[in-house]
Amino acid sequence: MFDPKTRILVVDDMMTMRKLVMKNCKDLGFSDFTEAANGALAWEAIAAANPPFGLIISDWNMPNTSGLDLLKRVRSDSRFGKLPFIMVTAETDKAQIIQAIQSGVTDYVVKPFTAEALRDKIQSAYNKTAGKKAA
Amino acid sequence: MTSMDPGFFKPFVEGTIKVLKVQCKVDVILGKPFLKGETPQPNFQIAGVIGLTSDTFTGTLTLSFEESSFLEIMGNMLGEKFETLTPDLQDGAGELLNMIFGHAKRVHNDLGNNIRMALPTVFVGSNLGTRTVGGEKVMVIPFKTDRGEFHIEINQK
Repeated sequence: MFDPKTRILVVDDMMTMRKLVMKNCKDLGFSDFTEAANGALAWEAIAAANPPFGLIISDWNMPNTSGLDLLKRVRSDSRFGKLPFIMVTAETDKAQIIQAIQSGVTDYVVKPFTAEALRDKIQSAYNKTAGKKAA
Repeated sequence: MTSMDPGFFKPFVEGTIKVLKVQCKVDVILGKPFLKGETPQPNFQIAGVIGLTSDTFTGTLTLSFEESSFLEIMGNMLGEKFETLTPDLQDGAGELLNMIFGHAKRVHNDLGNNIRMALPTVFVGSNLGTRTVGGEKVMVIPFKTDRGEFHIEINQK
């Protein structure tokens, strides 16, 4: 599992969802969170972060810069090629999930979700990316 | 298929029950659906509205809460106790609506209706009411919690 000191960026235009994700992550032992209300602000935070984020948990459906736009931007930068990126979405259309996978998402969580489901996805993201900090 | 057909509104009902159960740990009691205007509605304080746009129809989905039921639902979801409807909490109505919409969208799109992605808008005030301007019928589906009521309304044309 990720080190509890891992810096986590939580991206969602809805404050209540950011709070929910952070609450579930706190219950897993994490404590270092940064919040962003849209994809553009999230990118600014990612690019400036020092030390870097170890995990991004982002909503998909946001105004202006969507979670998918953010994912593509992150993956287009070689520094963040393997940065664990979990997409949270109310969408389960196969085409959209395929689009996210093709764009480099590490894993995705479908809303509504339980704390256990999010924990399993975080564990899965760790298993897929452990030790791979860059492309 | 119109909003009056069970096959149309059932995915929204299923989505509402599922979202409240899974995300908020709240069991809700489904009431008897009725047409808007047939029965006086409670005094709602917060509502979310999202557009329904597809290849074959347009409409809206509205989720309206009594303040007490909304505070209970948010409290259960976030593991805190809330006494008042703060600005921080208000977007929760939009998020719940977004999840209900997502469930119903998947079911309808599996049937070929191709409902498109949309973003919810939240309204807050005393005695909130909604009305349609085209005279179309609006299906109201009431739900009860331990601390009050909430409704979903579906209109489609």
